[in-house]
Amino acid sequence: MPPIINAEQCSHCGTCASICPLNIFTYSKGQTPVVAYPEECWHCNACVLDCPKKAIELRLPINYMMLHVDADSLHR
Amino acid sequence: MIGFKDTITTDVLIVGGGIGGLCAAIASARSGADTLVAEKSDSRRSGSGATGNDHFLCYYPKAHGNDIMPILQETFQSQIGGFHDPKLTLRFLQESIAMADRWLEWGINMRPFGPDYEFMGHAFPGRPRIWLKYDGHNQKQILTAQAKKAGAKILNHTPVVELITADGEIAGALALDVSSEEPSFRLIRAKKVILATGTANRLYPAAGTPGSPFNTAFCPACTGAAQAQAWRVGAKMVNMEMPNRHAGPKFFARAGKSTWIGVYRYPDGRLLGPFVEQATRYIGDITCDVWNTAYTDVLHNGTGPAYIDCTGINKDDLEFMKQGMVSEGLTTVVDYMKRSGLDVTKHAFEFMQYEPHLIGRGLEVDINGETSIPGLYGTGDMVGNFRSDISGAAVYGWICGNHAASTVQQGSFREVEHSAWVQERAELYSSFMDRKNGGTWKEANLGLQQIMASYAAAGPYNVRSETLLKAGLKYLGDLRKESIESVSVRNAHELMRAVEALDLMDNGEIIMHAARERKESRGMHLRSDYTFTNPLLNNKFLQVWQENGTVHTNWRERWGL
Repeated sequence: MPPIINAEQCSHCGTCASICPLNIFTYSKGQTPVVAYPEECWHCNACVLDCPKKAIELRLPINYMMLHVDADSLHR
Repeated sequence: MIGFKDTITTDVLIVGGGIGGLCAAIASARSGADTLVAEKSDSRRSGSGATGNDHFLCYYPKAHGNDIMPILQETFQSQIGGFHDPKLTLRFLQESIAMADRWLEWGINMRPFGPDYEFMGHAFPGRPRIWLKYDGHNQKQILTAQAKKAGAKILNHTPVVELITADGEIAGALALDVSSEEPSFRLIRAKKVILATGTANRLYPAAGTPGSPFNTAFCPACTGAAQAQAWRVGAKMVNMEMPNRHAGPKFFARAGKSTWIGVYRYPDGRLLGPFVEQATRYIGDITCDVWNTAYTDVLHNGTGPAYIDCTGINKDDLEFMKQGMVSEGLTTVVDYMKRSGLDVTKHAFEFMQYEPHLIGRGLEVDINGETSIPGLYGTGDMVGNFRSDISGAAVYGWICGNHAASTVQQGSFREVEHSAWVQERAELYSSFMDRKNGGTWKEANLGLQQIMASYAAAGPYNVRSETLLKAGLKYLGDLRKESIESVSVRNAHELMRAVEALDLMDNGEIIMHAARERKESRGMHLRSDYTFTNPLLNNKFLQVWQENGTVHTNWRERWGL
């Protein structure tokens, strides 16, 4: 469920639905957009950046985990 | 049958509102041609440049000197340099700084560090630096505004799904309106068509996360539409068989590895490559531009994994790198690291090689960006005989737009409304809407990925051969037949994805036909039955095209200076 829209902050402008490069939202005028195709999210952050109410956050799927180690472990 | 909206007539139709498409639109509209951009999503945020970029290859005499040749050579030796017709690359370089000047004038910050252009990243110590470092976080909004200001019209949520030719010349296109749940077709009659659909992704299983096919470094809505549509009307492609694999963080696939300023290390701390011990904003660690398969090799030989270690860079370069992430459009990475307590001053990040995709492979274009079909042009990542990513798309978009507009008077509008080809394709796509309880577009797409991974795999550690490719083509034919006969979709969105899956199958087919003909091993095209690199093919390109269902191939010399 990548973009999470805070329904209380959302002003129902539909910007996120319009600008999403993957067209993952559906939107009806006056309603909070629905994340209809979450598995097709590219996680580009465009909806987060363009939301005029800052009502969207993006959750990365658990398996996208950005593998890392403490850098000190490479400096022994 | 899906309904048709009113036909639109325009001098120049541009397919795709990315960097190349928008720059073509601005040039065309400024030259006075009636110009329309048909865009799958919304040009303010679509495609692989959606949220930004930070490296723009160009030749700037003030920084590079008056001799362009060293910059041309550096371009060929860079990560984008393998498959060029030098004649095109030279024209691109000559016109490149004027494009940077235009972007600066329009409001894209091409000089974020002071009064002049600065070149850094993807650079070798002691060699010319050819990548202008810029802040592209708002590039799509600005180019969209400029296109509109110039008088171009933009039709968002309307991907082109088919090209239409008449007497061997371009006549227009069939588009699909996906702006509402109920799809509709739109015929567009045009004297000139410029294809600018970007990379082709979702061809192979996602290398890091095979269960997440949209986890791709480049935009997963870019699915080789230009190659597929142009193939269907007989245009020539080149270099489709030569695999390209990008690299970056594991498992979150993102482009922009040179935005990270650090050195690559083995787990015991040794450096992967010989180029730098200390990375700076000017010279990062270029090892993996040169040793492209490094991250895969170190897993296969057990010496890995390989990490990027940014902890050695100075404070100013650290701030510079963080800003670069925003310029490059990597704010998801920045936000994720913040939320997860990850810090480039404390952590080293594993990098990996991503699955093959098409970038700089596809349409053969001439010095003006025109394909083998008169009136049909191409610019950007889906061009096969020239590549320079952002700046390549922009500069050649400008060249195409100007050429198309300046020759528009010589062309004439042709009949598109009673085309048997349009009827056939419209009926095919409509059948997916009419059918109930069939297979899904996703099944068709995954079927293609399975076949590509088994029968047209890319190196390292995977081979192709005559028998594998021949079998792959047979299975691909079976998959296409099954998909055409069984896919059902519920709405416009799913229909768009089904069209993408079929376009990707055409790309897969082109790759396999070309890979059969390339009877040698080169780069990541590894033939078990031809294990050597044939020096006679060093300066040759393999053209592939089809005519009435018969596939043709031809070797040609590169177009020199």
